[in-house]
Amino acid sequence: SAIISLHRNKLGERGLHLLQRQRGEAVTALELLQREKECGSITTFSSQLDRALKGGLPVGKVTEICGAPGVGKTQLCLQLSVDVQVPLSFGGLEGQVIFMDTEGSFVLQRVGDVAAAVVRHFSLVAEDGEQKDAMQTFDMESILSNIFLVRCHDYVELLAELHLLPDFLRDQPRVRLLVIDSVAFPFRQQLDDLSLRTRLLQGLAQQLVSIATRHNIAVVITNQMTTRLQDSQSHLVPALGEIWGHASTTRILLQWEGSRQVAAIVKSPCCMDTAVQYHITSEGFRDVNQPENSDQPEIPLTERRSL
Amino acid sequence: MTSLVWAGGFPCSKHKRCNGTERDARVMVWDQLPLPSRIRSALQRTHLKSVREVLSLPAVDVQRLTGLAQPEVHQLLTVAAAVCRRHAPLTVLQLQRGECRRCESGLRLSVSCPVLDGLLRGGLPVGGITELSGPSGAGKTQLALQISLSVQYPVEHGGLGAGALYICTEDSFPIRRLQQMISEQAILRSEVPPSVISGLHFSDHVYIEHAADLDSLQVCLSRRAPVLLAAGLVRLIVVDSVAALFRSEFQTEDWLERNKQLLTFSTMLHQLSQEFTTPVLCINQVMDVLKDDDSLGPLSSSVTPALGLAWANQVMMRLMMLRHQTTVSRGDQSSTLRRLEVVFAPHLARSKRDVGVWREGVRGVPVLE
Repeated sequence: SAIISLHRNKLGERGLHLLQRQRGEAVTALELLQREKECGSITTFSSQLDRALKGGLPVGKVTEICGAPGVGKTQLCLQLSVDVQVPLSFGGLEGQVIFMDTEGSFVLQRVGDVAAAVVRHFSLVAEDGEQKDAMQTFDMESILSNIFLVRCHDYVELLAELHLLPDFLRDQPRVRLLVIDSVAFPFRQQLDDLSLRTRLLQGLAQQLVSIATRHNIAVVITNQMTTRLQDSQSHLVPALGEIWGHASTTRILLQWEGSRQVAAIVKSPCCMDTAVQYHITSEGFRDVNQPENSDQPEIPLTERRSL
Repeated sequence: MTSLVWAGGFPCSKHKRCNGTERDARVMVWDQLPLPSRIRSALQRTHLKSVREVLSLPAVDVQRLTGLAQPEVHQLLTVAAAVCRRHAPLTVLQLQRGECRRCESGLRLSVSCPVLDGLLRGGLPVGGITELSGPSGAGKTQLALQISLSVQYPVEHGGLGAGALYICTEDSFPIRRLQQMISEQAILRSEVPPSVISGLHFSDHVYIEHAADLDSLQVCLSRRAPVLLAAGLVRLIVVDSVAALFRSEFQTEDWLERNKQLLTFSTMLHQLSQEFTTPVLCINQVMDVLKDDDSLGPLSSSVTPALGLAWANQVMMRLMMLRHQTTVSRGDQSSTLRRLEVVFAPHLARSKRDVGVWREGVRGVPVLE
């Protein structure tokens, strides 16, 4: 462990993790726990959802967002794509994002709305010199320049992009978020052979987990809902089958309850099954009890990172 | 006219808007790939004919078919993927600056009414399926006809400079109403110079097709549509209506088969829309909403679009037009009031506008401050 502390000094904590991972060295449970804490998470800008997720969407893990059309899956993905870029001095990850759009629902106008609102929010809450300095470079242009958009027109293109992703990530080490919106859409078209689909999805799931851990990235995938008949009653369940359910570490279900929109965490290793209310405003994904005027912004609680 | 049949894919390299380095990745002789000869000869021993075929198999299948070691399979897949990819990832800033002509540029098709364009933040998006549903008599066909004229205006006046393919599945095409709207375009679009309007021969550029059943709809979309789109004659596809075909041809027990057919149909529409950057407008009927079914969101009315979740998953923008009891008057005309509502869209809030249907077309009632 003298060697380990030597490496730690030279490479820093993260470098040490990568080195150990590559060598397949054993680590203690305590070290793993510490690493997980350091990996960080991406705020959703809904403090209730962040709290339910113990901080936000976890980096290094695969999170799935399911829901019926129009409930807000893409909106949450767009929000995360901006939130991952929040400067370190505000407790953010200051990272970049790769957004793989398979449905064509990535609309520039909307990204602009969300980005502008986030910049406004942090301009108002900037306190000390460090944060004010960070705001000099955290503006619309820089936010848009840190989102890489990939349009995939069918499942073959999606698989191709994922084969090329490791090389891209090696060239762009600042990427901290990968969004695939949605996985369901291309895989439910033109793929009549269900056993082939299952095997492709299994391979895809393994690739996503590997990308998440090896490159220390939060992977967020969206999924559609489908109706399943059970006991002559129809239920709404996530699409792509039972086996796909094992692909993600955490599953968030967005659904309507009457006129309310609810985010339910239905699968997670660290959080109990909780449900929080949210709504989509002109500014993005938000809590429901958030005050409308921006004079008293509700700050998503993130601890200042000790640098 | 030659009839060209595409079997499930459209040769994109013929498209005007492609940049010159686009390669047709559908068929590729292995010799052209930068791969060591060992991998190439292994590929030639298999039945695989294209990079797409290689990529559409799980890696273990490729390994089994070629007999190659895992690192070689990885190399093969990476090279195949690089060929298949249309272009490297762009940043959103580059997109906004218009650096990729084929990608999302924020282009919108105006619906010829400033109030409704305001509701839609510009108009119909040029990629993806827009659905317009509503009860009969609400005015859906009226709006679709209006958009079929709107598309013909040049880009600087909110159009796309091409015609429309209007596919009727139920009643016969309302040709007289179209002629009436054409004659009143100068009134509807008073902001456009009259010389521009008189220069557009509207009726020449609305291509009307009748598809009474699924087979003829398939033929229309796989043969006729690509020809018109590739020639630049058409940049709008209207299907009036989708519900008619999918509701009548299937009994309730056949809903699995119906969903499969719906998926095939919507996949074709998506491919056309993406390949030719063309808006697709599908008119849909409505059905009464079941009591406890709030799966698709809160409804401001007692009706919901037909065809269920399977269809809803294919729609990018959902609009609904409802009829109201009151009337609204303008000059010598009066119209039953309608309401056009955005049910969902990735870039729009759920909002609505009051609408009147007049001699000259569909017009939103301006929102009073």
